[in-house]
Amino acid sequence: MFDVSLKNVLRLGYAGRTFKSGYRFQNYWDTPMATAFFCGETGAGLFILSMLLNFMPGIILGLLITGVGKTFFHLTHMGVPSKSWRAILRPDRSWISRGLWGIIFFVGFGSLHVLDQIFGVVPDQLAKPVYLLAIAGAMMVVVYQGFAMSHSTAISFWNTGLMPVSSMLYGFLAGSSLVMALNALGFDVADAGQFAMVITGQKILMVAVLMTVLSLLHNAKHGAKGAHQSYLLLTKDFLSKPFLIGVMGIGIIIPLAILLFAPVNFITTMTVTGTMLVGFYLYRILVFKAGVLDPILSPADIFKR
Amino acid sequence: MNNQTPVQNSMKAGTWKKSSCKMCIHSCNTIVHVTDDGVINKIEGDPDSPSNMGRLCPKGNAAIMRHYDPSRFKTPLKRTNPEKGPGIDPMWEPISWEEAMETTIRELKKSVDEDPRKLLPSIADFQKLYLWAWPLVVGNSNYFSTAGSFCGGGYHPMNGFIHSAFAAANDVNYCNYWINNGSGDGFSSHLHTAAQAFHVANARVDRNMRVVCIEPRLSIGGAKAEEWIPIKPASDRHFALGMCHALIDEGLCDYETLKKDTNAPYLVGDDGYFVRNGDGKIYVWDGKDNKAKSYDDKTIGEFSLEGSYEVNGKKCKPAFQRFKDILKECTPEQMSEITTVPAATIRRIAREFSKAAQIGSTITIEDRTLPLRPAGYNYYRGAHAHKYSTQSNHAFKLVNMLVGSIDVPGGHVGATLDDQKIDNGHVAEGDSGQLLGTPHQLGPHPGFSFPPDNMDLMSYFPLGVHPGHLNVEVWKNPEKYNLEFKPDVMLICHSNPIWSLPGNRGDWFDIMRSMRFIVSIDIIPNDTNIFADIILPGHDALESWNMTMIEPPQTEGMCLRQPMTEPLYDTRSEEDIFNDISEGLGLLEVWNSVLNIVNGFEENSNLKLELDKKHGDKEIARRKGLNWNGKDLDWYIEHGHSVTPRRPDKWYKPWDGLRLLFYIEDIVRERDNLKQAMEKAKVPIRDEWHWEDYQPLPTPMLEPVLRDNGEYDLYAITFKDIQLNFGESLSNPWIKDIVYRDPVHTALQLNKKTAAEKGLKEGDLVLVESKYGKIYGRLGLTEGIHPETIGVSNSLSRMMAQNSGVPYGGGHFNDMLPSDLENTDACSAQCESVCRVKLTKLDHIPDELKGEGSLYAYSDRKAMQ
Amino acid sequence: MTSYGMVFDVKRCIGCNACTVACKQENSLPDGVFFTRTLSAESGSYPNVSRTYLPTICNHCEDAPCEKVCPSGATYTRDDGIVMVDAKKCIGCGSCAVACPYDMRTQIEETQVKGGLFGDGQLTPFEEQGYSRFECGTFTKCDFCSERVDAGKQPACVATCPTDARIFGDLDDPDSKVSRLIRDRMGRQPLPEKNTRPKVFYIE
Repeated sequence: MFDVSLKNVLRLGYAGRTFKSGYRFQNYWDTPMATAFFCGETGAGLFILSMLLNFMPGIILGLLITGVGKTFFHLTHMGVPSKSWRAILRPDRSWISRGLWGIIFFVGFGSLHVLDQIFGVVPDQLAKPVYLLAIAGAMMVVVYQGFAMSHSTAISFWNTGLMPVSSMLYGFLAGSSLVMALNALGFDVADAGQFAMVITGQKILMVAVLMTVLSLLHNAKHGAKGAHQSYLLLTKDFLSKPFLIGVMGIGIIIPLAILLFAPVNFITTMTVTGTMLVGFYLYRILVFKAGVLDPILSPADIFKR
Repeated sequence: MNNQTPVQNSMKAGTWKKSSCKMCIHSCNTIVHVTDDGVINKIEGDPDSPSNMGRLCPKGNAAIMRHYDPSRFKTPLKRTNPEKGPGIDPMWEPISWEEAMETTIRELKKSVDEDPRKLLPSIADFQKLYLWAWPLVVGNSNYFSTAGSFCGGGYHPMNGFIHSAFAAANDVNYCNYWINNGSGDGFSSHLHTAAQAFHVANARVDRNMRVVCIEPRLSIGGAKAEEWIPIKPASDRHFALGMCHALIDEGLCDYETLKKDTNAPYLVGDDGYFVRNGDGKIYVWDGKDNKAKSYDDKTIGEFSLEGSYEVNGKKCKPAFQRFKDILKECTPEQMSEITTVPAATIRRIAREFSKAAQIGSTITIEDRTLPLRPAGYNYYRGAHAHKYSTQSNHAFKLVNMLVGSIDVPGGHVGATLDDQKIDNGHVAEGDSGQLLGTPHQLGPHPGFSFPPDNMDLMSYFPLGVHPGHLNVEVWKNPEKYNLEFKPDVMLICHSNPIWSLPGNRGDWFDIMRSMRFIVSIDIIPNDTNIFADIILPGHDALESWNMTMIEPPQTEGMCLRQPMTEPLYDTRSEEDIFNDISEGLGLLEVWNSVLNIVNGFEENSNLKLELDKKHGDKEIARRKGLNWNGKDLDWYIEHGHSVTPRRPDKWYKPWDGLRLLFYIEDIVRERDNLKQAMEKAKVPIRDEWHWEDYQPLPTPMLEPVLRDNGEYDLYAITFKDIQLNFGESLSNPWIKDIVYRDPVHTALQLNKKTAAEKGLKEGDLVLVESKYGKIYGRLGLTEGIHPETIGVSNSLSRMMAQNSGVPYGGGHFNDMLPSDLENTDACSAQCESVCRVKLTKLDHIPDELKGEGSLYAYSDRKAMQ
Repeated sequence: MTSYGMVFDVKRCIGCNACTVACKQENSLPDGVFFTRTLSAESGSYPNVSRTYLPTICNHCEDAPCEKVCPSGATYTRDDGIVMVDAKKCIGCGSCAVACPYDMRTQIEETQVKGGLFGDGQLTPFEEQGYSRFECGTFTKCDFCSERVDAGKQPACVATCPTDARIFGDLDDPDSKVSRLIRDRMGRQPLPEKNTRPKVFYIE
């Protein structure tokens, strides 16, 4: 749909992986990692909402998206997949480690919860703790990726508290949109009150996501050098088309307009969910692509010649 | 710290052996690590070497990748595809050494027996200079290469005249004001780069040595310099003449030295010759007695440098006055118009230079009191490799001579090529107390001949270095040049003329295709040996013996090369190959005699090669070591080298008591001798010969390239940097990994403002056209280049994918250069290295740059990797 | 205590990247993998232009962000301050690479190792003897040539530098050359605002 490859980088004067001092790009986290992040947040958002609504199709789908989708793409990304288990070792300092624990809690206790709902396998006094631990794990999953990024001082565009906020908001927005879509597909949500609540929530989340993304851009524009460069990439340089049209237009403005001004029916619901998810996925990819490192040392700044 | 098996290469189990580097023509000392399994896995500089002190340049660091290059020639090869050309697979077929040598000898013999001149040799291994002399064995003096003429046609003869040496460098031991004009000395290229860079960096940091770089493109040296003075290409001589004008005009010269140590006071007649007395002694004017006296008259009270006199009825002036007369047309203002350097800058640099020279100061070194002149004007190819190269070289030397900076501590000092023997001096007394000029630093001139015995017309350049580039001019016009033979066999040894010669590649290809037989001794495929009929694979530098030293600026001695492992493949040493060829031609004894002469073995009966025996690389290396300091091979194997700092008595004023050639009368004499010879032989082209190129003093004549060139509004220059010095480097994966990430080497360099005026942007594809040829490329914009210049890194001049590892560019810079007489210095045979071009923006990718193998596609991949 | 660090003398550096190649040679690095690189930066406008060469290398930060984010414990710091990676423990998640402000982490990919330096799928004897040190997929980096340092030698890049632009030594020893240079010529750390406390200093 959009060319988001970095081949234009040189022509735009970036350093790329050349030996020119200048803005260098991170490409260590790329599409598989972005897809895993997308799956993690979408699955966890859907799971949490569905748990609150006691909406079993959403719970199961959420578990699948995270448990299967996220895991698959993480393993695709990982350099040494067979040793990935080692990521559990440093929850004391690493958000990736913490996130893995979150996934284990989320998927483990979430699955147990589902089994319990169907087969009643969990003793009554443990049902509540299992339920809460599953949600706690999912809460971790919906935010930790944002923290993993916001903790990177290297990439100043990511180095902001808005990263986990955007993770969470996007996660819940994707979750509520999927709940709506499942409902439209005939997996009925329990009652009308919940239905109204989800629609309202979706609208609020959509506006919140818009505000968060705009805040991110604003922060980046006025932030450190690297962040400003990311801002330029997303709004002016070669990432601007997919970002402005894809993330902003298709992913936020169009679904928001439909939510606000169109009647709720099968077509509009599916359109909102579809466009929103496309926008979110692009957002995940572009935030990685736009991650630039400050020049190692700017001689003009440090040494006045 | 731990007991694990080491993973770092230098720490693995193995042995270190001493040797020397051959990734460029020079010979930095190395230590080579060979694992217990026999793998060469680390090469470092020899920390015990006073030359490079453990350091190596990037190329030296990459030597292992040449050794293990899978495209190395592994056995003798025979071409099976009769069609020849770039990109055309020769369809090599492995053959035995017997068959290869038999064919080679048979084919060479066929031509040589008919006429020895039918052989075109291209032998250019700088570390085995004695191999260059092989064609003498068959009485041949052709030369099909650029070694010498492209870089140093005018440079080496002038160093011979001024220093009686092959090269020259600023004396980093004491220099405080270092001018680099079109040269990378001390930073990126030329003499023993890694070694010299070390000394220069120390001088800059420890002594605050000031560096001024005069060059069209901000080179590495320019980047490190205190001052970069951008100059219009090919106008460097005019800058120097402007400086000379300012030095004389403002009385900033070292007049004592000029009077005492140079021939500046010698009286020159209007015919250009010195005025001599009946004994042949040259007159000077005694300003005190107001009369002419022989230069050595003890009663001379005052050597006059200026004035106009009459001696024995002949009008004459001191040489200095002659130069002053020329300089009337060289005011900084006039020179500014040509160079684009502001007149005030020319004046200021002259003043700074003279001040830094501390005229009058002395220093005592080893009981000798010597002038101390810590200012040197150094220059190289970028500045002098133009039509009037002799004059340019001379002008740069005169800037130094005017402040007394030649061959003195801190100044501009001659560096010999290879003294062969520790006690050998390199200076001799010439006529009337002058230093004997020795312009033929690479061997004697073959002499005048008509019809010419050489396809490059060397017979007509009595003061020149072989003009390999003229081969094409003569080949295309044999009648015009009265060529009475047609070369049809070629013998190539470690030489790549098709890559290095200037002029249209198509013409050069035609010459190659016209050969009946080509044999090439080489290691890896290149632009030239792809035309060969037989490949004779040589040992590489990690498999062979050698003993050499090549023009080190700070040191002297011999550097050993020894085999680190058995040869990887079925290869031979060059010595073995040439011995067998000589024997096959029945000329082994002649070859041994030639070797004795060129290696200096002749004078020592113990070293003299037995004429009927074949001597291999090891034996010749052994004798060369013995010749230097009497030490046998085992001593060299242990020590690796006999390198010491240059001894002050040989380095500083080795000509003490003689006079330097401020005025070079030999140029006038050789001109007239040649004129006479041509007249006598009735050489048809004698009237169009560029006699005005012979000038005993430099003039401000305008190079053809500087004259009006109509629509060609830009100057194209080419350059190498330290990663690309000298021979082919871009088949080496480590060198590729650094070169194609350097923005300087991945785009045509154009000034930002110029680009804006032309409506061009970063990354635009352009066609660059000169009168002679064209290249395609991608623009990279920079502030670090003269606005009238486009800079073409040598990395872009790769035309063919003959070696799959070398990414190809959009043509070859040299295609845009002339290879005609019009642009050749008739005095030194130097060819022009700059051309006028115009740019056209392209809206499509030209065929030359299509494909994943192009260097732009390649460097883009690197940039994204 | 010993705390190894490096000083880059920007006045000396000529940007030749001999260091880069020496490192490749010493550490058998595959194509496109660098533990050190020397960058160039042009500044000013014609004719007052300069180009600065900036050697870069792992800064062996005291507060190494790569170590903090490493989820598997593969990254650790030796007692002498050298930040190391245990390839046996690395899972190749790349957290270190996106955490390093200096872009000094690099992944060893199987294609690079198998493809060979000449890109023909064949390994030279040099590569055969060298590549066993790498675990494909892991992220690796400069370790100041720890084995050479343990044996009392200089790191390979330092040993080969033609202009002495790289100086290696003990930052805890006030009399070491690195300490003196940092003091006398006002050594500056790269990107101090990232709060990583680099042990690499630049002087001019």
